[in-house]
Formats: sequence, C-alpha cells, structure tokens
Amino acid sequence: MSEPYLEVRDVEKRFGGLAALAELSFAASSGRITCLVGPNGAGKTTIFNVITGFLRPDRGSVRFRGASLDGMKPQAVVRAGIARTFQNLRLFTDLTVCDNVMLALPGQFGERPAAAILRPLRTAREQARHREEAEALLERVGLARRARERVRNLSYGEQKLLSIARVLATGAEFLLLDEPASGLAQDALEAMIALLFALKENGKSLLVVEHNTRVVSRIADHVLFLHQGRLIAEGEPKAIVADPKLAEIYFGGVI
Amino acid sequence: MTFLESYLVLAEIYVLAALSTNLLVGIAGIFSVSQAAVFGVGAYLVAGLTMQAGLGFIPALVLASLGCIVLDILVSLPSLRVAGDYFVVTSFGIQLLATAVFTNWTAGTGGANGLPGIPPASLAGVPIESTLGLLALTSVLLAIGIAVFWLFMRAPFGRLIHAVREDELAVAALGKPVLRAKVAAAALSGAFIGVAGGLYAVFLSFIDPSSFDLDASVLLLTMVVVGGARTLKGAILGPFLLVGLPQLLDLINIPTTIAAPARQLLYGGLLVLFMLFRPQGILGERL
Repeated sequence: MSEPYLEVRDVEKRFGGLAALAELSFAASSGRITCLVGPNGAGKTTIFNVITGFLRPDRGSVRFRGASLDGMKPQAVVRAGIARTFQNLRLFTDLTVCDNVMLALPGQFGERPAAAILRPLRTAREQARHREEAEALLERVGLARRARERVRNLSYGEQKLLSIARVLATGAEFLLLDEPASGLAQDALEAMIALLFALKENGKSLLVVEHNTRVVSRIADHVLFLHQGRLIAEGEPKAIVADPKLAEIYFGGVI
Repeated sequence: MTFLESYLVLAEIYVLAALSTNLLVGIAGIFSVSQAAVFGVGAYLVAGLTMQAGLGFIPALVLASLGCIVLDILVSLPSLRVAGDYFVVTSFGIQLLATAVFTNWTAGTGGANGLPGIPPASLAGVPIESTLGLLALTSVLLAIGIAVFWLFMRAPFGRLIHAVREDELAVAALGKPVLRAKVAAAALSGAFIGVAGGLYAVFLSFIDPSSFDLDASVLLLTMVVVGGARTLKGAILGPFLLVGLPQLLDLINIPTTIAAPARQLLYGGLLVLFMLFRPQGILGERL
C-alpha cells in the first residue's frame, strides 16, 4: 500500500502531568472528509495544533504526502499544503471581509515593505488581481455581497463561512476545520454542509472536528474517535455512531 | 523667524514623529512608551555627526535615520517575546535608560546642560539660515514621509501589519511572516522618527534631555490619540493641534513658572478625556 496522505504516528503531548495526547496514531486519506470526534478534552484541538506546527509534540511524528512535518513552524506547514481554521474563528475584525481573504493569499509581492514603496504600480496591479481572486472565493462561500463589510458587522454564520473562505485562500489542499458547523442555525448549517461537500468535490481533503453526530453522519467518509488523547475507534460514520460503548463515552463522560 | 513659520516647522517635525508612533503603536500594536528616546537619538546623532564628525546635514540625517532604524528594531524586539502589558513595562525601562544616558553621558550629549550651537541644516554645503528655508525642507521631507506612509498602508504590507496587531496567531496560521512584519514596522517607524529628531536638532540648534524624556513620549502618544490612531489624517492633525496649544497658553499671558506644568496638565487631561469619551480620536479608529 502506498504511503498515507496524512499520517500521525505515536504522538504524545503532555501539559504538566496531563497527557493531552498519548501514543496517538491515525491516518487520513486524500480527497475525503475525515471527522475527528470525541468528548471534551479528548485531544482534538491539541492534535490540530501539533499537525499545524503550533505545538511541538513530546514524542512521535507527523508526515504529510510522505514528507515529515516535524519541527516545522506554522508558516512552513501552510506552505507544505495544510491550513486550519480555529474554533473561535480568529478573524481580523477590524478589516473588511475581502481584506481578510486577500491577506491569506500566498506569495504576495506587496507584502514586502520595500516592494510597497519602490514598486507601487506592480503592487497595485497585484492587489487588483488578488481582489478578484478573493471575490471569487467569497462567491464560492456565498459571501460575495458582503465583501466590503467590516467583519464585526457579520452574523456568526457569515463569520464561519468567511473563516472557510480565508483558509481556502491559503491555497492549501488539506484543510483542518475546527467545528465548522457548531452553533449554526438550520439554514446556515445546511449551507455549511453543502460547502464542505463542494470543497471535497473540488479536490480538497478535510479533517474536521465536529460534535454534532448528525452532521458527522452526513458529511464523514471516515470517523476517528478520540478519547483521553488516544484513538479508541475508527471506521464508517454509521458504525461509530451506532456503537453504544462509544455513545456512552461521548455523552456520559464515563471512563 | 516669524511665529507662524516656527510653528509650522515644529508641527511638521512632530507629524513625522507622530507618523512613526502611529505606525508602531497604533497600527502594529507595539505599545512603546519610549518613542521619545529614539527621537532623541536621532537628534543627538545629527548634532554629533555635524558638529564633531563634520558631516553635512543630509549625510548626517541619513545616518541618524539608519541608527534609529536599528535602535527601533532593538527596542521593539522584546515585543516579539513579551506581549501587551509586559512590553509597556519593558519599554518604560528603555525610556528611563535612555534619559539616564542623555543626562549623564556628558562627553557625547552635553549632559543635563544640553548641546548648544548645532549648525543649521544645509543642502550641498549651503546652510539654510532662514526659517522659511527650513520650512521648505521640512515640508519636502514630510511630503515624502506622508507618501511613504500612504503607500505602505494601502499595500498588502499595511493589511498584514493591521492583522498582526489583531491576532498574531491567526496571521501565522495563514502562512504569513509575523516576525518579518513586526521588524519591518519597527524599522519604518525608526526611519521616520530619526528624520524627525534630526530636523528637531537643527531647527532649535540646542537640544537637552528634557525634550526626549518620558513626558515627551507621552506627548507623542497624546498626539496620536487626539488626532486619531491608525489613520494618516489623524497623525497629521494631532501634532498641529498639540504644538499649537502651548502657543495659545502663551497668549493668555500666564507666568512661565506655571506655563510648563500647565502644559503637562493639559496633555495629561486631554489623554484621559479622549480615552474616556472619544478613544478613536478626532479622525481615527478606536485603539
């Protein structure tokens, strides 16, 4: 069998005496939606932080498309093709919707201070091109009409969509989404689910933290069940959701 | 030397310093209270390089500006490690340290007595003796400064700096260089305030540590807050207002012993009032 797309192997991360991740190993495949589920404190966000270079694991390794990500800074991980969203979104609320997306586009000439001053025309041309790209991305998530709005004037559902547009702008092919559907009203939830399917169809691979089991059942190709920093089950969403033992851990918090 | 010309020169010098402060504190969010220290280094460097090293004004100004770029990067470096409140305290220490050096390094700065007899600005060896001439030079430099500031802010670099202030982690998560952006902002801020300091030295022809102490740092912050943080027009308006205020105090004929403390009271009061009732300043955005 060929090497897995993303491979997490024997990752351990301790905070003081607490093992947030303990010998965690799993793989995720390309072109699919893999859901990470588990009760609070299972280590879902911690493994996101490890994969994306925000946390260095005490042990273990992460490989992406056959190359090691160990020791990489977050910026390098994005260049390698993995980008993430945050549970609390972390949008730039002082900027406009369009600027949030434009900022994330890679390889911007005008980001260099010298370029901004010495080559203003080239910078302006690049900006015009990037504005179109950003507007196209906003169109994809259904926010085109809100492009010039300040982020703080957006509804929560719109902000979640924007966080997806922003992570898409990085150009990464593997997206780690931290609870994209949580807290959404029915309409917004349906829009988000449709968007996730559209992303998959367009060749993105997704690793999604999600609490809502009904959402997981609908979107997941594969489910990873984490508990106390370990992978305790994986498989088809139907099988995972139907397992009474897992349901007890998930809803009862029983050890 | 007419009153209006002197006022305009001084206000323009402070606009350059306020642009620097606005960039560092308002836009990049590096809350420095040691801007006057860097301003002072620019002034002392131009004074020293023209008086002791015999350099022309423009080469001295360029060197002073380079020196302040390096210094501002060094001063801002702690902000890459310590965040928010801790940096303010660190920066406070840097300001006190600088004042101590300005006051006690008699051979270099003239100590508390100050440094008199700084030669006037010159262009290609021709001294600019008249205030009107200096006003022309200052205006040209300010126009360049404003253009540079404007180009920066509308470029992706400006957007990046705004974003870094709001959320460094989110910027890093998008694959963007947080460190490089902060260092660049500090460098640019240093370049502006270095030029401002140099112009200040040749305009007054006398400098002493009292122009570059903590009060002076607070004055620069007040200019940005009152004018309006994060905007170009705010950084232009603030200095014109605050340089003008003491002149108005002079007009109502109060004794000089009261005038100096009254000025500080006025600045402090303005800072408090604006923070309470109009944190975005007259033409700016909320800090």
